[in-house]
Amino acid sequence: MEYKVEAHRIMSISLGKIYNSRVQRGGIKLHKNLLVSLVLRSARQVYLSDYYGGVCLNAQHVEAKEWELMDGDQEKLIPASEESLPSTTACDQTEAAEVPEAPQPEETDSSLAVEGPEDPCEAVEGPEDTSSTEPQAEQESSSSVDSTCDVSVPSPVVSEPQCEAKQATVSSLDCETDANLAMSAEGNSHQPPKAHSCSNRKRSAEKKASHGSPVKRTKVTSSNADEEEAEEMDTSNVSNLITIFGSSFSGLLSKDNSEPEAETDESDSGSGQICCDQMLKNLNPWNTAIVAF
Amino acid sequence: MEGDGGSEIKQWCLSQVKGAIDDDVTEADIISAVEFNHSGELLATGDRGGRIVIFQQEQESKTLAHSRGEYNVYSTFQSHEPEFDYLKSLEIEEKINKIRWLPQKNAAHFLLSTNDKTIKLWKISERDKRPEGYNLKEEDGRYKDPTSVTTLRVPVFQPMDLMVEASPRRVYANAHTYHINSISVNSDNETYLSADDLRINLWHLDFTDRSFNIVDIKPTNMEELTEVITASEFHPLQCNTFVYGSSKGSVRLCDMRAAALCDQHSKLFEEPEDPSARSFFSEIISSVSDVKFSHSGRYMMTRDYLTIKIWDLNMESQPVETYQVHEYLRSKLCSLYENDCIFDKFECCWSHDDSEVMTGSYNNFFRMFGRDGQAGVTLEASWESSSPRCPLRPWRVCAGSRRKEDEIGVDCLDFSRKILHTSWHPQDGIIAMATVNNLYIFQEKLN
Repeated sequence: MEYKVEAHRIMSISLGKIYNSRVQRGGIKLHKNLLVSLVLRSARQVYLSDYYGGVCLNAQHVEAKEWELMDGDQEKLIPASEESLPSTTACDQTEAAEVPEAPQPEETDSSLAVEGPEDPCEAVEGPEDTSSTEPQAEQESSSSVDSTCDVSVPSPVVSEPQCEAKQATVSSLDCETDANLAMSAEGNSHQPPKAHSCSNRKRSAEKKASHGSPVKRTKVTSSNADEEEAEEMDTSNVSNLITIFGSSFSGLLSKDNSEPEAETDESDSGSGQICCDQMLKNLNPWNTAIVAF
Repeated sequence: MEGDGGSEIKQWCLSQVKGAIDDDVTEADIISAVEFNHSGELLATGDRGGRIVIFQQEQESKTLAHSRGEYNVYSTFQSHEPEFDYLKSLEIEEKINKIRWLPQKNAAHFLLSTNDKTIKLWKISERDKRPEGYNLKEEDGRYKDPTSVTTLRVPVFQPMDLMVEASPRRVYANAHTYHINSISVNSDNETYLSADDLRINLWHLDFTDRSFNIVDIKPTNMEELTEVITASEFHPLQCNTFVYGSSKGSVRLCDMRAAALCDQHSKLFEEPEDPSARSFFSEIISSVSDVKFSHSGRYMMTRDYLTIKIWDLNMESQPVETYQVHEYLRSKLCSLYENDCIFDKFECCWSHDDSEVMTGSYNNFFRMFGRDGQAGVTLEASWESSSPRCPLRPWRVCAGSRRKEDEIGVDCLDFSRKILHTSWHPQDGIIAMATVNNLYIFQEKLN
């Protein structure tokens, strides 16, 4: 468990560094932010892998259920709901069987990154689920997003956009720049074809999931609402940030804007936006300035 | 030196300390670059305020036969000013990132200095004569009344007090989108390279309006960015060869004869990661902070956070020598990450005969390694505990917080006092290094 605490702390510190880098004199330092993002990703993986250790499988959360429902037979969606726990467990077991060679727990979670908006999701999802998501084509996750959202009955309204966010983030997570990590989670056969289309997949998933601005705004709002508590180091908040962050900078774009080739700084501004309400006000001029970087 | 059997332990003595001694350090005074010129006569330092101070070694002292000359201030000038990029709404720091001297061709000295975005070529020249005897001007410059001139004379040069002038001869601007981290003068003395996080450009010293991009590792999609360029240097003898280090711990050697764009490396120097040492911070500590060719051109040294590695250019699979600089910090990586120390970029340097290497550490310690198999020695740059001509006593770092003579615990180390910038005299046993705002010069004790 101490790993989880340590990983969480490192994640919070990393996010703080990225946030502070925006106000540093001399502009954002690409090298330092890249290193911080790598640490963030490693910490996230370890953090998630802890949950997969089975510690949190007993967590009871509505969102988890909802996710599971949306997951349906896919077993792909990240957060699993309570109701789906049995299936999740089965899924996990299946996945575990599929991934006997997972080098390290962190590796398995390469795609896990996406966590539920609230704690439940993390608890529920075993790495295997996410792993299984990885090999899945983006189309699957996208379609599952659509279908699942319809299916999600008991879920609160907020969950839907988050669900979509999750989907998108899952995709984005799948788009780990470091394909190796992703590959380790699942059978290798799944990974290579997916890794290449990663960015495209993320985009399509994102766009499908977003359903236009309203959903996005809701997503952002809910994330921001979560972010209010960021200072308290709420797991879900950090999870949101992590999912947004994705691998290195890829996840940041999902939250930020539709800039097809956002620069690192844009990613940074994206995370900053999520980070804090105040940043939202400064975001637009910041974005404009950063675009040229 | 050579031929001594190799087992002689060299002794170092504190020679000089430059800079303010008080504890109150202004940001602008923090030294950010230290570099000897090719003869060792001049020592240049750059600081965060954009200033360059050049020290000159005085002629060998007549009284102390075996003492090398001291370094005194020769010239001080403002190299870079803070700028503002209006397009991106970003401030460009005036901090001097690197200084590189050009080999001397005439009486004047030339050096290249760079901040994050702009490189400048400075000419440092002496003026010890001035023309006197103008027909139309008084000595103080006032114009004479032409009607009062009755005779004509030819102005002649008369000696004057030595004046050292620094003038910018070239400004190489607008070629880098990202922060410049290295410059390196080619052995052809006509070109030089400048490297930022993602690109390396080749310049001709005479032309400021154009540069050639020779390395570009920027991915089409910035989301896929995984590594950046951290340091780069030309080979000291082969004008077509250069290397660049990356944040992933690998070094690539490129040959400019192979292609105009050297994205494809000719050699890749990379040591496989030790899986047992993996941690959250493995990637950070493997990032190459400095790369330096040996004077012979046969070897190359890389500095990452915890080690120095010596590579034989003929063998890419692993370094031929690895030296632990401060292995005791491996268990402290998390704290060092929190206080940002893990991002410190330490420089390293070769001795003039390539027999030793030196680098800085924390607590104002610096490490010297003899390449003949000796264990490294830890010395301290401290004016309080060192007296001139008295050999420095080696330190040991132990676990815990013990502190006694010659030994200090890891927990007692002061991480705010660090030696990042070091330079070794090209022909002699003199080393210069910068603590936060002081310049220390040490001399090898001659027996």
